[in-house]
Amino acid sequence: MRIPRVLPLAAAAVVLAACSAAPRATPNAQVAPGYLALADPAVTAGGTLDVQMTVDNGAATGLDPQLAEVATSWQIMSLVYETLVTVGPDFSIQPQLATSWDTPDPTTYVFHLRDGVTFSNGRAMTADDVVGSFERLLGSQSIWRAQIGPVRQVSKVDDRTVEVKLSAPYEPFLASLANVPAAILPMQEIRNGSLDLATTMLGTGPFVVESHRQDVSWRFTRREGYWAAGKPSVDTVNITIAAQEQARMAALQNGSADLVTLGNVDSPRLVQGLPGAAVATQATTDFYYLMLNGNAPGGKFADPRVRQAITIAMDRDTIATTALGGFGKPTGVTPAGLPGACDPARLPSATSNLDQAKQLLQDAGAENLAFQLTIFNTEPAPAIAQVIQQNLARIGITVTIEQLDEGSWSGKVYGAAPATFDAAMSWFAGYADAGMAAKWWNPEQAGFNAGFMKPDPALNAKIDQAIATSGPQRRSALQDLCAAVDTDAQMIPLVTRPALVGYRKDALSPTVYATEGYGNVLRGISDFRLLTK
Amino acid sequence: MRLLSWWSRRVFSAAVTLFLIAVLIFAASRLMPGSFADVVLGPFATPAEKAEVAAKYGLDSSLPVQFWLWLTTALTGDFGISMISGEPVTTEFGLRLPVTAELTLLGVGAAVLIGIPLGVWTAVRSGGGGGAAGRLAGGFGVSVPEFVLGSIVVFLFSRYALGLTVGGYVPFGRDPGGNLRAMVLPAAVLSVFVIAATARTTRDAVLNVLVEPHITAAVARGESPGSIVVRHVLRNASIPVLTVLTTVTAYLLGGAVIIEYLFNLPGVGSYVVQAVGRRDYAVVQAGVLLAAFVFIVLNVLTDAVAGVLDPRFGTAKGKR
Repeated sequence: MRIPRVLPLAAAAVVLAACSAAPRATPNAQVAPGYLALADPAVTAGGTLDVQMTVDNGAATGLDPQLAEVATSWQIMSLVYETLVTVGPDFSIQPQLATSWDTPDPTTYVFHLRDGVTFSNGRAMTADDVVGSFERLLGSQSIWRAQIGPVRQVSKVDDRTVEVKLSAPYEPFLASLANVPAAILPMQEIRNGSLDLATTMLGTGPFVVESHRQDVSWRFTRREGYWAAGKPSVDTVNITIAAQEQARMAALQNGSADLVTLGNVDSPRLVQGLPGAAVATQATTDFYYLMLNGNAPGGKFADPRVRQAITIAMDRDTIATTALGGFGKPTGVTPAGLPGACDPARLPSATSNLDQAKQLLQDAGAENLAFQLTIFNTEPAPAIAQVIQQNLARIGITVTIEQLDEGSWSGKVYGAAPATFDAAMSWFAGYADAGMAAKWWNPEQAGFNAGFMKPDPALNAKIDQAIATSGPQRRSALQDLCAAVDTDAQMIPLVTRPALVGYRKDALSPTVYATEGYGNVLRGISDFRLLTK
Repeated sequence: MRLLSWWSRRVFSAAVTLFLIAVLIFAASRLMPGSFADVVLGPFATPAEKAEVAAKYGLDSSLPVQFWLWLTTALTGDFGISMISGEPVTTEFGLRLPVTAELTLLGVGAAVLIGIPLGVWTAVRSGGGGGAAGRLAGGFGVSVPEFVLGSIVVFLFSRYALGLTVGGYVPFGRDPGGNLRAMVLPAAVLSVFVIAATARTTRDAVLNVLVEPHITAAVARGESPGSIVVRHVLRNASIPVLTVLTTVTAYLLGGAVIIEYLFNLPGVGSYVVQAVGRRDYAVVQAGVLLAAFVFIVLNVLTDAVAGVLDPRFGTAKGKR
């Protein structure tokens, strides 16, 4: 009786093999503008939500939200911590702990704080907490210090009003305040030493931590006294950390998880036909990019013409369709999907052809260029690297792909200055304003890139201009910025990175944005409704 | 006197082996490209931040000094703290050992209760078709990789659960039923290999004994087959069986990594592998040392037991 059970598996394998030749899947339809799914408020509140994720908060800095640098930390911390403002599905800035704000001049922001907000220990949030949180962030080693911009002074106007003065206009300011590192912290408890943020989470958010075992699980419970009436809907959130994709897939299939994060771009097809399961293919503003080391041994990429030839040869559409299953989008340095983002098809490299690329190589005396591309071994990086390899073969460049585990990759790319690798591939979080990621193209501000990237004053000027410009001129400033990055070509933006969220349609009514700027698949968790529990 | 010298030799060589492994794993973990600061603080970290973390965990002193500090504190039972969780390594292992121990117990139990009888049975009936079938099944069992079998089981049972769970480990103390439902499948997948390996070794050992003169003599004396197997064969075949059981136990206790990963069990094996990826040095060092310690202790004990079972073994072997 064993054989019949194996048959469906064999059949599934055959179907899969056939599928890979079929046309690629298209991203989910939106149920409402900007939403892949919207929780049904008519469903009775309560119940336990079971979530499975790939990694725990893995920071050596612990649970301090200001020092959290990656989306996996933000996801978990956002259950407890909140910010002055948040981002809507269309990337508009919406109220959260501030109900409104005024901008009397381009360098002044006045925030009016929400009434009735308390921390989970019961103490009311005050303007002092807001001022203190800003000051603590500005005095910290946080990477987010660079993102909140040129803040000159933060002061309390009265108990419910806080004023922030910038030293120069900075368009991404509000967007930068909408992410976990800018959370409002219980400063009184931090100052008197009764709270250690690295080990304990205490915020104004909808949930409190009941238990945590590093790399195993989290358990959160609904908080009494949360400011938003009737939220959150679920009583308990269990997060299981399951590193293996297969384990998460299994949990989705057998219903032991209501929601899982997935990594494999084929998972929407794998889940097709599973009764009760669905995959939301969320677009994100995160994007893959190629690093060409200007300090590479032998001066391989010292000549900008070589780098430009490589940029021209990149076929972003093929990367998006082949390596990312159709879920990525070609992008410039302003992430595709963000308001005002530049059009990648209008970039200098996109309007040049392969003959011009070959000519550039010839002019630079680099016709028979060969180099090593260092990548980490988690999908879809190897697939993207193969497309790059094929792209460059078209202009006579030989690429050898070197796959390393993430630790070794990180050591090779960021461990030494000047860096010793030839070329490398990675991805950046794209954030929620089109100008924010561009900051990393200035190695004088983004020191972690200084080992392989030379500062370009012309490019730096374009970055500064793009983040200072608002209103109708912004779009052209951003297009100029993209063109300058494209010409500099030390870090070459490629395609955006999709996020795949598997969930049980028969157990969960979730809220999922169509495009996410801060990698937070749990953004709508306060609204989630459980159908069966 | 002879026994005492045998034991002291074995303990001494075990200690030397452990020390050499300690040196090796320390060197290997530090020679891996990418430091803890690179991996965990990520690319955004400033050099000052990296230096701060390195200083906090004593990673800024020279390697021999670090090694000496680690070794001397480890001798007192303190294996340092995990740089990821900030908890003592012994606490972390304490939380994960029960999972791995339970898996080991189930695996070894299957080997003893199923593998050994199966091996004896196929040896005794080696003439018939049962022998060929047994060999085939045994060959299959030892050669199908765990990740293949495990993946199939995960796939099938996540669709047709039959009351069992894939993942979702709960401690036995909290919910015995739930614990068993989560452990049955991973233990079963592990057992296929363990049972097959034990059965094969048992079968070969029994076959080797069966051709010996004293068995022929026993048959000639008219002893019943059952009594021959129990009184003569098993005792003589037990040493290779014991050896394979030791190897299997050490392998399981060291953490059946793939199984723990596939079924998302929070055991020692997957924990140490994860620690390697993040350069959580103290955990990697303690994990490898623990696995080596278990292996060495089990081997010494096996030799001792073998010496009792068969006087030609053990003490005599120690003298060579």
